[in-house]
Amino acid sequence: EMHFGFQTVTEEERREKIYQVFENVAKKYDVMNDSMTLGIHRVWKDMLMHKMNPCPGTLLLDVAGGTGDIAFRFINYVRSVRQRQLQRKLKHHQNLSWQEIFESYQKDKFNSLGDSQVVVCDINREMLKVGKQKAQHLGYSEGLSWVLGNAEELPFDDDKFDVYTIAFGIRNVTRIDLALQEAYRVLKPGGRFLCLEFSHVSNPLLSRFYDLYSFQVIPVLGEVIAGDWKSYQYLVESIRQFPPQEELKAMIEDAGFFKVDYENLNFGIVAIHSGFKL
Amino acid sequence: AAVRCQQYPPLRALQASAALRRAPDEHKKEPLASSSQQHFDSPPAGHQPEQKPQGPHSSYTGQGGQESEDYESEEQLQHRILTAALEFVPEHGWTAEAIAEGAKTLGLSVAAAGLFHSDGSELILHFVSECNTKLSELLKKEQKLVQLGEAEKKPIDEFLRDAVEARLRMLIPYIEKWPQALSVLLLPRNIPSSLNLLTSMIDDIWHYAGDQSTDFNWYTRRAVLTGIYNTTELVMMQDSSPGFEDTWRFLANRVADAMTMSNTASQVQSTGEAVVQGLMGAAVTVSNTAGL
Repeated sequence: EMHFGFQTVTEEERREKIYQVFENVAKKYDVMNDSMTLGIHRVWKDMLMHKMNPCPGTLLLDVAGGTGDIAFRFINYVRSVRQRQLQRKLKHHQNLSWQEIFESYQKDKFNSLGDSQVVVCDINREMLKVGKQKAQHLGYSEGLSWVLGNAEELPFDDDKFDVYTIAFGIRNVTRIDLALQEAYRVLKPGGRFLCLEFSHVSNPLLSRFYDLYSFQVIPVLGEVIAGDWKSYQYLVESIRQFPPQEELKAMIEDAGFFKVDYENLNFGIVAIHSGFKL
Repeated sequence: AAVRCQQYPPLRALQASAALRRAPDEHKKEPLASSSQQHFDSPPAGHQPEQKPQGPHSSYTGQGGQESEDYESEEQLQHRILTAALEFVPEHGWTAEAIAEGAKTLGLSVAAAGLFHSDGSELILHFVSECNTKLSELLKKEQKLVQLGEAEKKPIDEFLRDAVEARLRMLIPYIEKWPQALSVLLLPRNIPSSLNLLTSMIDDIWHYAGDQSTDFNWYTRRAVLTGIYNTTELVMMQDSSPGFEDTWRFLANRVADAMTMSNTASQVQSTGEAVVQGLMGAAVTVSNTAGL
């Protein structure tokens, strides 16, 4: 017996229903994100990337990455860090011959990401399709791959990834403890787990406005923009059903992660949880 | 939670040994043997002296003396990463990149650099603390030699000069990036720690110099030596002479100044007293002459 929003369903039903929700919203996912959060979700995702502070050579697994927001940000970040690295190296070599300069520019072209890679994994085919189209449209090709997979049972070997992220996805996982265990399994020793998710607002005044906005405005937006009231009703309800910050932190620790802590964004509307496999 | 405990403890023991290694000379001990029921969730680890505002972190209460000797604590692991990272500082500076490279050499993922701040504060503080420890040991050794009669007790100015020089020489491998480190140490967030390290080092030097003052001199001496140390460090930053001989000459001059100053201070005091006495004598003479 599990919850699907405020309804009670079996595990199987829940998985199916959630799959359908995302199948329906896939095409309008990004538009809805922007209108629901008034564009603030971009800031949240940027802050996640800033917290990660990846260096070139990092292997990232973005689970429930669907339309690729985190993956694209990762690529941009790593690319700019790499550029700065190369600039610094060139500054050191002041007296290069023309031949050497030519060679160093050659190397740059083939290594603008510094061997960093991101694997986007999602359980939903539609979301992956939208993501791939977006990547093509925006010109992301290098260091990016798309895999269909279930967060509760990842199709990857042990000790493979440097960073595991799950942004606004863990709420939709039916067995969160399994997902956390899988995250632990596929991370290298020293690897980092990062989770960006809606969480609980403790401030009573703010939470009243937040509830009002969530239950009165968002489903209406869903109907008007995406033609789908029920999916967005599910979205809002699932946020309320999700465990609060401390509870999620305890679950992450149970899975074996160390140095687990969380950072509230916007007074707890969103929280970033972080843990290390040590 | 209790039910979950019982299902997963075997996994826990294996996973915990991934990077938190056992002490190399201990033979493999069965970690579950001594762990009690309610501690299944906590990894066997040493004490947790973290000052980060993480709230009561129940996972790090060690279950018993045995466990904490076998397993490395989180802090020890961080210590090892920072030590390994020092080797990469000349190339990458005091940054998260150097820490990432250090973590790589230990077989950890580069993401382990996320354990620390992205401005490299912890790396620098770690380095300063290590240098101070090395200096203390050096001074202690010298003191022992003097006590055993194998070496002459140095005069104060020579002692201070040698101690400051020894400490500053530890910066030489990192001298190019040291200005960056100094600026990071001055960040408001780091000032309590960096000030603490500085004052305890100066205190150490005076202690081994034989200072046992209990009056205001204690403060004056430390203030003077801190001034000497800081100015010499700054001079060293822009010194390009061979073997930093300009810096050592500057240091010798400053120490000599300090010695002269203390002599002058006592001279001034006695001269002042003499002048006052002279004036008093003149006043008495005048009053006697005027018949008052």
